[in-house]
Amino acid sequence: MTATQKRIIINKLALAFSTLSAVIALAFLFWILGVLVMKGVDALSWNIFIFEGSPPGYAESGLKHALVGQLILVGLATLIGVPLGIMAGTYLSEYGKNSKLAHTIRDISDIMMSAPSIVIGAFVYAVIVMPMGHFSAWAGAIALAIIMIPVILRTTDDMLQLVPGTLREAAFALGAPKYKVIIDIVYRGAKAGILTGVLLGIARVGGETAPLLFTSFNDNFFTTDLNEAMPSLTVTMFNYAISPYDDWQQLGWAAAFILSMFILGLNIVGRLILLAGKRK
Amino acid sequence: MASIIDIKEECALQVRNFDFTYKGAPAPSLKKVTMPIAKNSVTALIGPSGCGKTTLLRSFNRMHDLYPGNKYEGEIEFEGRNILDPKEDLIHLRTKIGMIFQKPTAFPMSIFDNVAYGMRLQGIKNKTELNDRVEKALQDAALWKEVSDRLKNDANGLSGGQQQRLCIARAIAVEPEVLLFDEPTSALDPISTQGIEKLVIELKERVSIIIVTHNMQQAARVSDYTGFMYLGDLIELGHTEELFVTPKEKLTQEYITGKFG
Ligand SMILES: Nc1ncnc2c1ncn2[C@@H]1O[C@H](COP(=O)(O)OP(=O)(O)OP(=O)(O)O)[C@@H](O)[C@H]1O
Ligand SMILES: [Mg+2]
Repeated sequence: MTATQKRIIINKLALAFSTLSAVIALAFLFWILGVLVMKGVDALSWNIFIFEGSPPGYAESGLKHALVGQLILVGLATLIGVPLGIMAGTYLSEYGKNSKLAHTIRDISDIMMSAPSIVIGAFVYAVIVMPMGHFSAWAGAIALAIIMIPVILRTTDDMLQLVPGTLREAAFALGAPKYKVIIDIVYRGAKAGILTGVLLGIARVGGETAPLLFTSFNDNFFTTDLNEAMPSLTVTMFNYAISPYDDWQQLGWAAAFILSMFILGLNIVGRLILLAGKRK
Repeated sequence: MASIIDIKEECALQVRNFDFTYKGAPAPSLKKVTMPIAKNSVTALIGPSGCGKTTLLRSFNRMHDLYPGNKYEGEIEFEGRNILDPKEDLIHLRTKIGMIFQKPTAFPMSIFDNVAYGMRLQGIKNKTELNDRVEKALQDAALWKEVSDRLKNDANGLSGGQQQRLCIARAIAVEPEVLLFDEPTSALDPISTQGIEKLVIELKERVSIIIVTHNMQQAARVSDYTGFMYLGDLIELGHTEELFVTPKEKLTQEYITGKFG
């Protein structure tokens, strides 16, 4: 066998192997989605949106409590995490730049991004839940916000840096003060990217269970009290899924389906915005 | 020895013994530059790449201050004061001395908002005044006819030459005294280049212009005075025709005859 023949065979093997791997990975994805859709759609009904949780065996039971709780928790986390993440990203890109401090913050943020989320839950438990003496929506939202911040910080930093320096200079050359340059020119130029970062950040925390287990905990009933334990789709799903009751398990599938669609939707919209922004 | 013409007319700017050193650079990029800039005329800066043309131009609106650690020494006199003074109000200075960059820098907003941007920074909110001045600036920049029916459109939809004229409109809308151009046509086609050159000549009625160019024909076409720079020195400053026909310095002679550069 000549060297060329050998190379051609190796090439073909590598191509076949990587195609096969891709197919297997995609097959799992569609398998998961398929099972979710089949089981989830089956379990869906209007009751889910009308009724809150009830003991097993009752016909009038739903997920309203968990759906609303989930929205409150994620919404509150967004309100806390997005401004902090964007401001920190702005600091890095527009003020810190290549300074030691900026690089340190970037490194720490990257480490935080890969920190196990349950550790962040434990941290919030120690500094908020324990001193307050009880679980609360606030604690859950703060745990989620802490997970969200590095994602948004990073994308904001990256997206702002993509805005050409000459645009900033052109605004300064017209006599714009720095904060005006950032708000009018840099944010405007990067708004699609920032929005994508925000959506991906929300999607990132939307499916979190571990950090909520010992912060917002769970509740089987509808509540909007931020100082009390608050139900979430993820923890509710976890509880229902491991329960021995058939109707609870059904609700668990419905919760899984709704949650997946929500997060899938956020991811798709986020990517579409980025694509549309790039095409311009 | 440098040969610097003594300008009899009124001067817009006076550079005296000016040294500029970039942060961390071992030696200054501009050395003892002394240069009068005549009012209501066009002064061209020519010279081989890296000789300091951009560096000098960006000193006039203190653009170098955006990056910490750069050092100015000497004096640049403008409206009776030394603008290198650390107490100089840079925001005010930059409304008086505008700048056009090599690549067009249309902001990500509408054509109208681009032109109105500088005026809005100055606190002008009155709708009629804004409308009038935006129209006037666009007319003066020879762009009005092409964009009058789509002022609300995104400025990034314009062609490169149109965007460059938009940047000129944006700069003149705030009625500066001086306009700085850094190779404003190097990214443009010949027709757009012609348009910009015509504009530069027209604008000198109202503003004093300094233009950096790599194109000696362009310098000859648009400027009244030309300065030749070499390795951070201003070698010669003279009337444009004189400098190109009978240069006083050997280096200038060699450069304009294409011996180097
Ligand atoms: N940001 C910077 N930091 C350090 N040195 C710089 C910086 N910018 C330019 N220089 C140096 O200063 C000198 C003058 O550069 P400048 O950009 O003013 O040249 P130029 O005449 O405009 O050249 P060109 O015709 O290529 O645009 C060069 O030696 C260059 O390497
Ligand atoms: Mg240059």
